[in-house]
Amino acid sequence: MKNVIEIEHLSKSFSEVKAVDDLSFRVKEGELFAFLGVNGAGKSTTISIMCGQLSKDSGNVKIGGADLDKELDNVRRNLGVVFQNSVLDKKLSVIDNLECRSALYGIKKSKFKSRLDELAELLDFGNLMNRTVGKLSGGQRRRIDIARALIHQPKILILDEPTTGLDPQTRKLLWDAVTQMRKDNNMTVFLTTHYMEEAADADYVVILDSGKIAAEGTPLMLKNTYTGDYITLYDVNENDVKNLGLPFVNINGSYRISVPDTASATELIIKNPELFKDYEIIKGKMDDVFLSVTGKNLTGGAAK
Amino acid sequence: MKQLKAIIKRNIKLYFKDKALFFTSLITPMILLVLYSTFLGKTYENSFRFSLEAAGASASDKLINGCVAAQLISSLLAVICVTVAFTSNMLMVQDKITGAKSDLIMTSVKNRTLAIGYFVANLFSTLIVCGAAAVVGLVYMYISGWYMTFSDVMFLLLDVILLSLFGSALSSIINFFVSSNGQMSAVGTIISAGYGFICGAYMPISQFSEGLQKFISFLPGTYATSLIRNHTMRGVFEKMSNLNFPKEVIEGIKDSVDCNLYFFEERVSISSMFIILIVSIAVLLAIYISMGALLKRKVKS
Repeated sequence: MKNVIEIEHLSKSFSEVKAVDDLSFRVKEGELFAFLGVNGAGKSTTISIMCGQLSKDSGNVKIGGADLDKELDNVRRNLGVVFQNSVLDKKLSVIDNLECRSALYGIKKSKFKSRLDELAELLDFGNLMNRTVGKLSGGQRRRIDIARALIHQPKILILDEPTTGLDPQTRKLLWDAVTQMRKDNNMTVFLTTHYMEEAADADYVVILDSGKIAAEGTPLMLKNTYTGDYITLYDVNENDVKNLGLPFVNINGSYRISVPDTASATELIIKNPELFKDYEIIKGKMDDVFLSVTGKNLTGGAAK
Repeated sequence: MKQLKAIIKRNIKLYFKDKALFFTSLITPMILLVLYSTFLGKTYENSFRFSLEAAGASASDKLINGCVAAQLISSLLAVICVTVAFTSNMLMVQDKITGAKSDLIMTSVKNRTLAIGYFVANLFSTLIVCGAAAVVGLVYMYISGWYMTFSDVMFLLLDVILLSLFGSALSSIINFFVSSNGQMSAVGTIISAGYGFICGAYMPISQFSEGLQKFISFLPGTYATSLIRNHTMRGVFEKMSNLNFPKEVIEGIKDSVDCNLYFFEERVSISSMFIILIVSIAVLLAIYISMGALLKRKVKS
């Protein structure tokens, strides 16, 4: 797979603060790429630079093969952006908003209509066309935001915290639509999120801390490197668990034991077969990875 | 061209659908008209009567009222063409605050196209409101005392168009640097309160100190006010002349209401006023368009 985003030695400072500090990473075509970090880690600064809305101090940015410094228009044409907050015109209707953006991309009216039908079906907003954007619910507005980002069929979709504040049903609908788009068009998705379960589905994850990459890899690699496994034991007494000499917590009568890795878990089970009759082994979560890497919890964007 | 059309259409739709923005623009001329006719009308009337009596002349109520109405309406139009342009151009600032401008830029629309789009839409909205105010003003003058000819009315409309162009270009440049609600409100307050004075609409420039008069003579808005005043009052002065008012009296009134303007003792002709206004519009527009290009270069660097 070829790289669709290439960032090399990117730096950006605001006075004394280094928002992005010698950042380098690549995103492959068709990948779901998760870009994680607490607020102020440098995610939004990086996205603003990628979109050509903020100048960089140094470094190179290539998007869809186009150099940001030389081919800004091509870079922008390759990108569809869902901003953190809806940036559509709240006083205008859904169709007016989408028609205007479409015309600004130079899309012809007939092509716009067929594209609008496709998106309305995919994102289920056919009944909202004539509604004023400002009067839509958060979930409805998010669907229109995504439709706007996809109106010109970009190669890369940037989702900047797209599901924050949405109900689970709407989150599922949005992710189903994005998954469908990726499958049908081999579209690359560049995601920033505070929901670690969304990041867990990514093909590749970069964790940013103070403008630098603190960790990167596939979710599995990160879990294997930065967290252990958990074995949850049922129908055992606490003394038997204590005798194993490993850290554990009592969760409603069951016991969750922490082990360094899956091999250690296997070894433990083989050594104590009488204890392991009813159990489950799970890997650490992305929350644990994030906590281990940055020393911070990522909950609603605030470092804790 | 398609992009420009789309951005103009969007901006005009937003202006008329944003009730707060639309009514704020509309309410300014209405408030000014009520304030002028209620408070300033009597002052102007007394002033005219006093001037005429002092010169040993007398005029009918109709002529006095026509003269007062012409001065009031010229002041009103001179102010609102600029203040309404500033109010309706708040859309440009709102787009920065809401992030809509970032979204528009992502479509790879040229900064120049975006800038022209804001300008044209703003001009259109300003012309709608100021055109309506001009019609109301003409009706008011007709009721008070009508002395205008068809060509006066046409010239008055031309003045409104030119001053709206001037106001739109000036507001576009100033709003280019405005990016928060606080700044937006400050600009609105300064323009509403200050422009009427420095353009000679609230108070004739002839009543200012000499130094201030010299300073104001460098501002193009002053000549726009004078143009409007000349075209609304020309018929009144012609009537005075027909009634054999002394020429000195008529010229005295013209001086006192800024129909005659002087640049370092040199009287500025009507045609020169037009040239000053048109050149100012061209210069302001050139600055505004090039500012958009400079911004693009800054982001690229």
